[in-house]
Amino acid sequence: MAVEPGWYLLLSAAVFCIGLFGVLVRRNALVFLMSIELMINAANINLVAFALVYGNITGQTFVLFLIALAAAEVAVGIGIILALNRNFESIDVTDAVTMRW
Amino acid sequence: MTEVTTLPDWTAIAPALALLGTAFVLLLADMIDPDDSNGTALTGISVTGGLVALGFALWYLLAGTGQPGASQEPTEGAIELFGDALVVDGMSLFFSVIITSVVVLVALASHEYLREHPYQAEYYSLVLLASTGMVMVTAANSFVTAFISIELVSLPSYALVASLKTNEGSVEGGLKYFLIGALSSAIFAYGIALVYVATGSLQFGAVEIAIADGVGFDSLLGLGMLMILGGIAFKIAAVPFHFWAPDAYEGAPAPISAFISSASKAAGFVLGFRVFVDVFGTATGVFDWVDAFLILSIVTMTIANFTALKQDNVKRILAYSSVAHAGYILIALAAFTGSVEGEISILGAGMAHLFVYGFMNTGAFLFIALAEYWDVGRTVEDYHGLGNRAPFACAAMTVFLFSLAGLPIGGGFFSKFYLLFATVTGGQELLGAALIINSVVSLFYYTRIVRAIWIEEPGEDLEPGEYPTGLYAAIAVAALATILLIPAFGFVIEYAEIAARMIGG
Repeated sequence: MAVEPGWYLLLSAAVFCIGLFGVLVRRNALVFLMSIELMINAANINLVAFALVYGNITGQTFVLFLIALAAAEVAVGIGIILALNRNFESIDVTDAVTMRW
Repeated sequence: MTEVTTLPDWTAIAPALALLGTAFVLLLADMIDPDDSNGTALTGISVTGGLVALGFALWYLLAGTGQPGASQEPTEGAIELFGDALVVDGMSLFFSVIITSVVVLVALASHEYLREHPYQAEYYSLVLLASTGMVMVTAANSFVTAFISIELVSLPSYALVASLKTNEGSVEGGLKYFLIGALSSAIFAYGIALVYVATGSLQFGAVEIAIADGVGFDSLLGLGMLMILGGIAFKIAAVPFHFWAPDAYEGAPAPISAFISSASKAAGFVLGFRVFVDVFGTATGVFDWVDAFLILSIVTMTIANFTALKQDNVKRILAYSSVAHAGYILIALAAFTGSVEGEISILGAGMAHLFVYGFMNTGAFLFIALAEYWDVGRTVEDYHGLGNRAPFACAAMTVFLFSLAGLPIGGGFFSKFYLLFATVTGGQELLGAALIINSVVSLFYYTRIVRAIWIEEPGEDLEPGEYPTGLYAAIAVAALATILLIPAFGFVIEYAEIAARMIGG
């Protein structure tokens, strides 16, 4: 194998952390969705890389399901963000705070 | 087994198939008659589908499907399908009964609640699709099926919480539920990927064997387990992943709050039981999940109960009460000892508590649906004097609340007592003490609602409105089940322990 598996782990951890950072600091709901996508794709990198290491296709198969599920999640999410925009006239996630504690 | 004829193996997932089929029938009915504002047919289809699924689940459970035969070991007999990706055993059927019962109650209660709602067929089919996912979660035997089923529960739930599109609270609740849900499912997926990195497989049995043989990446496995724990803690709304729960429950239509707080929580717990006890049972040396659940359980019940004390909105009080109940049931995982007998009694007690909780918590949220239907307002003060106006529903609410508190008026008393008993015999006195103290604290806010309903004078004259038949029927069934679970509790705990033996034994 050309690349050591450890590098894939490092890459995926980096992508995951970028996604998590985006979730924690960005206030735009669409950027939030993109950050979530990054986190799921970090999992995909691990699964694909180690499917190659272990020589079974379980990981690769699961990646296909994860891609489809991520797309479905975005579809529902954008629907909710549209409704958010209609009710609050912004897609800033910190605007929708009428309920507290 | 000496049966003359046996059904083919695939029929073991009939409860899920019945729910899925009903969802499609609903969409078809909406296609044929899109302008149908008469919800009776749609409610009828949903309730029938729920009852068929419940019938299958009960029949299988009582007939011993997927359970050990007389000549088998207590852990054998499970029906494995699709290359072991799904397993139908005592536990999955036990939880399918809980989930389908809640679906029937919720569908029945939604009839009048939705009278002005423009998208009734979509609402019902989303409820049924989410419950299909929940029934699949109970049968998941691989991280792939577990993740897909969890998403099948989550995605319709987000849409259902936000389904009152012009109501700010509903959209805000749906947004918060979606944001935290999407984050936790990404973390859950990454946890699954790390477990795959460490063990090279995703099927529960294969992961279990790989862990028993020893894995090369202990730290990655531990991190993966921690992330999976986070994903499950979100589903069951345990502190610190509970922040979505009060907002989502408050904003959602009340039948949906009942659905998510009862059925979705049960689905989260069944996954927790299967993944941690069965798969990671021998991996406590890698990541001490028992201690993690111990802390989670005590912190969850304490924070939730004390926060509930200072709430004024009845729906939020019940939301925090449902978070607190997640803490009580987490005792079943926190008291994991590794000894078979203690394990079965504590897991069985947790499952039995989920069973009773399914009825009493659904009933309590359906009472709120009734109050919202009458537009009496949302705070405790608005409930003053409701007892004069609707004595029957208020009596049922009193049963639900006192049963949630653990008074011997409903099955909640026995299930809490069994949890307490199991903690004491298992040498977990700390958990037992936390359970008792928190139950006493919870009595304050439950009593506050009961007092508002019965004793306080109404602020203004309440006009007796019409009495919605479906909602009343659902509340009556839930109340009847809660009370009947006192004499029938021996029966429930017997099946709960069979279920526990399948994974713990």
